[in-house]
Amino acid sequence: MSAHAETQHAAHPPVAHQSSRVDARTLGMFLFIASEVMLFGSFFTAYFFIRVVNHQPWPPHPFHLPVFVAFVNTAILVTSSFTMHWSLQSIKRGNRVGLQAGLTLTLLMGLTFLLTQLLEYARIGFTPHDQAFGTIFFSLTGLHGAHVLVGLTILAAMTTRAYRGHFSPEAHNGVEIGGIYWHFVDVMWIIVFTTVYVL
Amino acid sequence: MTTATTAHDELHAGAAPPPHGWRRLLAPGWLRVPWMSALFFGIGLGITLLVRWAEGWHPIWDGQVITTIELVAVPFGFLAGIGGFDYWTRYAIGSPTQPEDHSGHGAYSWRDYFRINTDHKVIGVQYVVTTIFFFVAAGLLAMIMRAELARPGMQFVGNQVFNELFSVHAALMIFLFIIPAFAGLGNYVIPLMIGAPDMAFPRLNALSFWLLPVAGLLMLSSFFVPGFGCGWTGYAPLCSTHQELGAVFFNMGVQWAGASSIMTALNFLVTIITMRAPGMTFWRLPLLVWANFTTSLLVVIATPFIAGSQFMTMFDHIMHTNFFNYEAHGYVLGYQHIFWFYSHPAVYIMMLPGFGIASEVISTFARKPIFGYRLMALSLMAILVLGFSVWAHHMFVSGMAPWLRVPMMVTSVVIAVPTGIKVFSWLATLWEGKLNFSTPMLFALGFVSMFVIGGLSGIYLAAVPIDIHVSDTYFVVAHIHYVLFGGSLFTIFAGIYYWFPKMTGRMYDERLGKLHFWLTFIGFNATFFPMHYLGIQGMPRRVSDYAPRFADLNFFISIASFFLGASTLVFLYNMIVSWARGAPAPANPWRAHTLEWQVSSPPPVFNFDEIPQVVGGPYEYGVPGARHAVFNGDRVIEEEEVNV
Ligand code: HEM
Ligand SMILES: [Cu+2]
Repeated sequence: MSAHAETQHAAHPPVAHQSSRVDARTLGMFLFIASEVMLFGSFFTAYFFIRVVNHQPWPPHPFHLPVFVAFVNTAILVTSSFTMHWSLQSIKRGNRVGLQAGLTLTLLMGLTFLLTQLLEYARIGFTPHDQAFGTIFFSLTGLHGAHVLVGLTILAAMTTRAYRGHFSPEAHNGVEIGGIYWHFVDVMWIIVFTTVYVL
Repeated sequence: MTTATTAHDELHAGAAPPPHGWRRLLAPGWLRVPWMSALFFGIGLGITLLVRWAEGWHPIWDGQVITTIELVAVPFGFLAGIGGFDYWTRYAIGSPTQPEDHSGHGAYSWRDYFRINTDHKVIGVQYVVTTIFFFVAAGLLAMIMRAELARPGMQFVGNQVFNELFSVHAALMIFLFIIPAFAGLGNYVIPLMIGAPDMAFPRLNALSFWLLPVAGLLMLSSFFVPGFGCGWTGYAPLCSTHQELGAVFFNMGVQWAGASSIMTALNFLVTIITMRAPGMTFWRLPLLVWANFTTSLLVVIATPFIAGSQFMTMFDHIMHTNFFNYEAHGYVLGYQHIFWFYSHPAVYIMMLPGFGIASEVISTFARKPIFGYRLMALSLMAILVLGFSVWAHHMFVSGMAPWLRVPMMVTSVVIAVPTGIKVFSWLATLWEGKLNFSTPMLFALGFVSMFVIGGLSGIYLAAVPIDIHVSDTYFVVAHIHYVLFGGSLFTIFAGIYYWFPKMTGRMYDERLGKLHFWLTFIGFNATFFPMHYLGIQGMPRRVSDYAPRFADLNFFISIASFFLGASTLVFLYNMIVSWARGAPAPANPWRAHTLEWQVSSPPPVFNFDEIPQVVGGPYEYGVPGARHAVFNGDRVIEEEEVNV
């Protein structure tokens, strides 16, 4: 290779041109959520085949679904979306205590939701092996539970950072993007709850 | 090369000195891989046993379950060891991070290709080389199959081994070669083409590469646990309740490969949307970028469905759930619906990037603007949308609801329209062009002609009565090889030859390239064309033995396939020797207009010293005074002209 002018190349990249008003990480999160929605979609397709195409009674004879507990759990998760929102608004206004409190509350409510779900699993009276009904019940709620776990991991990271002094009114991208995921987990639960427990 | 080292030293000035002694075990890299993998193995085992003990499930030690869990845990250990999560872990615990750390950029010796590297150019090369490795491996499996099929009766392998051969052959070719090879080429050229210094998420990009070897090793090792032999389609219940542990290796291999391609697709989309150079509007994007844009949308939307389908069969297999278990009110055909809802779009995931490569190559080597540029982009979009409405044409004989047949037949035929638009546009681009038959062009032309044959047999298959006759015969095998070998693989070869000078800084041997093309072209047709006839005569696919009346043609096909296999040696020889000792490549050997050719070969570490300003379309060949882009003061373009 000829050594033409190569020495002049910069040691740092040129600043990339921002060709869209959308923030790259936010866009990335939305695309990720799109693929998550489709993953749920594949399990809802299985649900559709089993319940609608196969005319399965829901729930089939000896089984019962704990609708009331699930409803309370739903309320907890929905509330946690509000506290999440509150923490983001707080840091936008420079209120660090609000950020920390909001994140901590969200984290605790998420944990409560997950633990309640696990306790319900233990006493629900059927297993994933009990007909296709049991399979699809556990796989839809379990898939959602796995997403709560991921959401909690993100929240835990955000909370740790909040207590260690990160985030500011200018730089709160992390809270915002983590929050989008948490809202997704919440909305997804409302859909799972409606289709599996209510309808 | 000396100059590059200077840049490297500058980058590392101020960075901490490399660790010594036992601390090297803690630094990201191959020394950390073994103990981290072992650690994660232990964690996976511990948690499994603990949960099984706490829940009172018997036996506590269940080999199948443990293996399945470890197929998740150990790869995570590997990825953590190699350094895929270092930055995010530091971020998560709130430690100081260095977002603008460029120490992962550039490759200064061959060793840098074996490390986690955040430079899209290094990752692109890692991808292409890895996928070629799997291509060769899968090709060898095909050679064994053809040896078995050379004569009727059983020769070398038993039935089960034969099943494993074609299953793993297809799985590797599809998930570890064609899809990621396109992702690799895209990785290398997309940021350059749109005038960006790198991808939007370089660390995610690095991680998505390292998932590939994991997926490939899982699929290869499915031979050694009792094998996976139910076909790459993994139909339930055959693959869920009647299979050995190898099927789980396939399920998990698909998950890792799928995660990798979703991550890359997401990265492509964000990069293309947010990092285009000033003036690079969507209607000025090179068609390769358009093609990868649509492909990435397909990947993000469709791939989760195959993930879902593989989870379900795996659960049916390992945990004895009832997704597809008829006796427990499961819905058996559900698997095929969910699988094909991904896998038909997936055939476009395997083809659209190739369309993009063909457009680049044909326009450059015909010295003419692409005919109907906007329609080319729009037909990609049409294929994207229509692709989701045809999946059940794979299920005409499955016993699915009969009313689904005709709508799916109609949409399948309709989808040939945008595809046809593209073919006619290539032909019109060639029309009266100043054709230059270099190797990339030969492969692109080979692609257009062979793909038309594959598309036509596709239309035949889409017609329900014909499909009922030839479904599950060698006619389908002929179809898939005309579209995937004559289509996708030819464009991959075209792309590799086309960008070889850019990627390696050296020219390949043109004579050997042409020889490779002709051997492949002849070998390919001799191998796969007779399969149409065999299929119509009723020879079933996926069997190791056949009726004596098919013997002559099969013998001919086997000989031709060995010839075809040998032609790959020419390719490998050419690539290896040219990379090591080829003549230095000028910046723009093809006199192309797109941006990747306006920088040196190989490009500088950060692609551009300053971001170019795009002022026109990418294919204005022969248009007087037309320019695609200008650089500040035009410095780079002048250099390049001196160089040529
Ligand atoms: C004109 C467009 C196309 C049409 C109408 C079409 C139609 C079909 C049909 C109806 C089948 C099912 C045959 C059967 O199993 O009975 C089929 C199989 C297949 N096609 Fe296409 N096809 C088209 C293009 C493509 C392209 C572009 C690719 C890939 C690059 C592709 C890859 C495949 C594969 C891999 C299979 C076999 C799947 C298996 O293992 O069962 N096709 N095609
Ligand atoms: Cu199809």
